[in-house]
Amino acid sequence: MDKKHLIITSITLGVIAASSALLIGVTNLITKDKISQNEKEKIVSGIKAIFGNESKIKEESPINESIFAGEYKYINYVYTISDNSDVLIGYAFKTSGSNNFGKITMLVGYTSTKIYKSVYMISDEQTFASTLEDEYVTKITDNPDYQDVDVHCGATYGATLVKEMIDEVKGAVNK
Amino acid sequence: MKRNKGYTKANFLKGILIENPLFVSILGTCPALATTKSIEAAIGMGLLFTFVLICSNILVSLLRKLIPEEVRTPAYIVIIATFVTIVKMLTQAFLPELYSTLGVFISLIVVNCIVLGRAEAYASKNNVFDSLIDALGMGLGYMVALFTMAFFRELLGTGGFTFGKIFTFIPTYKLQIIPKGYEIKLFQNPAGAFIVFGLILATIACIKNRKEAYKAYLDKQEKIRKAQEAKNVGGNK
Repeated sequence: MDKKHLIITSITLGVIAASSALLIGVTNLITKDKISQNEKEKIVSGIKAIFGNESKIKEESPINESIFAGEYKYINYVYTISDNSDVLIGYAFKTSGSNNFGKITMLVGYTSTKIYKSVYMISDEQTFASTLEDEYVTKITDNPDYQDVDVHCGATYGATLVKEMIDEVKGAVNK
Repeated sequence: MKRNKGYTKANFLKGILIENPLFVSILGTCPALATTKSIEAAIGMGLLFTFVLICSNILVSLLRKLIPEEVRTPAYIVIIATFVTIVKMLTQAFLPELYSTLGVFISLIVVNCIVLGRAEAYASKNNVFDSLIDALGMGLGYMVALFTMAFFRELLGTGGFTFGKIFTFIPTYKLQIIPKGYEIKLFQNPAGAFIVFGLILATIACIKNRKEAYKAYLDKQEKIRKAQEAKNVGGNK
């Protein structure tokens, strides 16, 4: 390949890549606020699904800014939940984890008496997402015996990840 | 330039019928099995797929004379990945229910053989208009195929159809056709998807084989008739 052809090829690829980056950047600018707003709404509806319609977020603490920074693999945020009369009713932990089949972000709810309450999926990018949700997550929702739930074939890897995330929260709550 | 209407029509229809990407070429089967649990998810996937296919076909066709031969495939992948990322962001922002239902399968459009296949086999050799029509036909063909699978899976697996669950801008409505308790949940599972897909392919193969057999029968009859005529002419002489 001669030098001129090599330069033209590199420039063409460079221009295509730069234009693509520009297009993605512009789309990100347009959508980022809406995406973060959607995520916040999903967290609020998740908390209501776990603790009931009367619940609200009293306090929000990112784990990275706390004394536990770097200590946990899955936990990102801790939300202190209260009822309408500001009485503490529990904690919701926003956890994110991934395995070879994709990423899971979910809320794990614990009561103020340190008892597991429920989970709520914020996003499930697993390849077997629907199998995981139908055959495992629905069974551990509002089920204090989550550790005894049998896992359906096809959801085993996802279920292991979900279980690990809940167990980490359990450890954090007991701490 | 004067366009051939017949060619445009045939170009559009081939993707829907004779060259249907899913039922004839058996391409893009992974998302077809995974995203056809409900009609709404299938339509959503079909629309996103068609959008990516149209955009990438147009751009590939526009740049076909500028992209050097050696870097054709990487350049096409960059173009397709760009549109998939854009579609993913837009869905996440404006159709969050569809985004969470389709999950990883939106990102997987990048590696869908149909998109890269049409860019390589058609858009890189044809003008923008023809590439657009090809993308429309193929996209619609894929959407029709997804819809067909979802129709049977949702009907048999849940006993009816639910609307407004993913496309939240339409009112929620559940149409129950099979009485509750008589639905076959297997059709909502991956195994059910394989069964439906297999049965549809078998039906298509059956129709195709019957058509070919009938054509062969007509040809044979024609040959016999001609042979008879030739014999009669010879006898008269």
